[in-house]
Amino acid sequence: MAYLVTFHWGWLLASLLLGFAMGWIAVVHRGPGVSKRTSLWLAVLVAALVAAALARVIPGRPGYWLDLGLIMFACYLAGCAVGSWLRDWVLSRHAPAA
Amino acid sequence: MHGLFRWRSKWWPGLIPLAIFWAIAAWTNTSTVESDLAARSTAALKDTVLDKTRIAVAGRDVTLAADAFSEDGRSGAAASVQAVPGVRRVNDETRLVPEAKPFVWSAERDVVRVTLGGSAPLPASKVKLLEAARASLGGVEVADQMNLSRGAPPRFDDAALLLLDQIGKLKDGKITISDGKVSLSGMARELGGREAIAAALKNLPEGFSAAANEIKAPPYIFQAYKDPVAVTLTLTGYVPDNNVHTALAAAAGRKFFSEKVVDNLKASVGAPSGFANAVMPALGALSRLSTGTLVVSDREVKLSGDALYDAAAVQMRAGLGKDFPPSWQFKADISVKPQAAPVDATVCQQLFSDLLAKGKIRFESGRATIDPDSLGLLDRLVETSLRCPAASIEIAGHTDADGEDGFNQMLSEKRAQAVADYLVKAGLPASQFTATGYGSTQPVASNDTDEGKAQNRRIDFLVR
Repeated sequence: MAYLVTFHWGWLLASLLLGFAMGWIAVVHRGPGVSKRTSLWLAVLVAALVAAALARVIPGRPGYWLDLGLIMFACYLAGCAVGSWLRDWVLSRHAPAA
Repeated sequence: MHGLFRWRSKWWPGLIPLAIFWAIAAWTNTSTVESDLAARSTAALKDTVLDKTRIAVAGRDVTLAADAFSEDGRSGAAASVQAVPGVRRVNDETRLVPEAKPFVWSAERDVVRVTLGGSAPLPASKVKLLEAARASLGGVEVADQMNLSRGAPPRFDDAALLLLDQIGKLKDGKITISDGKVSLSGMARELGGREAIAAALKNLPEGFSAAANEIKAPPYIFQAYKDPVAVTLTLTGYVPDNNVHTALAAAAGRKFFSEKVVDNLKASVGAPSGFANAVMPALGALSRLSTGTLVVSDREVKLSGDALYDAAAVQMRAGLGKDFPPSWQFKADISVKPQAAPVDATVCQQLFSDLLAKGKIRFESGRATIDPDSLGLLDRLVETSLRCPAASIEIAGHTDADGEDGFNQMLSEKRAQAVADYLVKAGLPASQFTATGYGSTQPVASNDTDEGKAQNRRIDFLVR
């Protein structure tokens, strides 16, 4: 894990920033969201992939790609959470004035 | 915080650029990661003793194939690679090198090269043995046909290095270690090499023993060549020690009364037993030849050349073998020199005087037994007599003035008769010779000095 982070820190930072931007936008976005059912299925899928990565059942290059993808996804999620939370905090500070 | 659950349903559009990022990252970094991990894995195995190591990396999974020399080394190698940061899985394809039973190592020397074969225990010892072989052999080509195997006896390297030192002393041959047994065969390069190798084998490390040492020594050669044109006797080859050398040189000086002795002998160990006892009579026989070569090779004596007359050739062919120590072999290739043309009495007398001026017929002290050292001279006198068939020859014996006159008179007669007998035995007619003794009545020098006395003790040939 530490090796992946140090070796790919640029890509992980890019994922984090991408997530931050997406989270920032998501608060005021008016488009359709993902339904609860779909997000449940997505969560199950991600959990299965994480389990596969931890169990190291996928060999060779695909195994490495899976690890890399999951770490980038984790950074993306973290970026989204921070972005949304920060946007919400900024909006709520301005709301009473409006 | 509660908002997170609401907002997260809107996070999905970013997944599309994320997937693109992921694809690019995987595309550009995979081979970099693989080569980085391969280099780190190789570095991690630097101190582990392995042979034929192959490292293949797919993603972060390392496939390690290698020959290990012990079970510990094998698991240690896999563990070292597993410990490399970033390695995810290790596919351990290592195996133990085969065990050799018996563990055989050999070094074989032929004319052009030394071949190291059989098994070596570790790559390091293989390199060490090759370097030692190159160092001890100078410019000789060293061929490596060694395999790596387990099962070497302890202290194998020390034993093999000691034996590699010995291969320089061989002209050709083979040295083999089979478990703890050392066997050697072949031919030593120089005299004494066999003994040096046998001595070195005593220093073999514990657990090793010399099972068979069949190193042969090169033939021990002594040669003598009598050259009638240059009037020289050339001695070459080996003698056992300086005492024998001195004795041989002195005997050669006495037996070869007219030739100059060229002494190129060297002292060396390894002489067959009875060397001096065999070479002395052989040199005596050579002195009786007109021209000839004596070759003593180990226990074989070869004499070839021309005798001065028929009876001498017959005597030497038949009689000489009896003079040698037992187990020695004698081969004679003796022909007879054609007889020279007859000469008249004056020339005859001149020839006798010339011969007796160069050498003297010697006898045992106080007796009438001819010294074997004088046979060469006597044969020359026989040869000359054969050229004077018409001459009547008086053989005159003289003594010095020591002792009683009566005894001296008798001794001089007996000595003259002994010489006459020798000539008759050689095939000359007895009627041609008269043996006369003069005692000390006709001195040619003063009897007051030892040199004078020696000159007075003589045999003269007088043509009547």
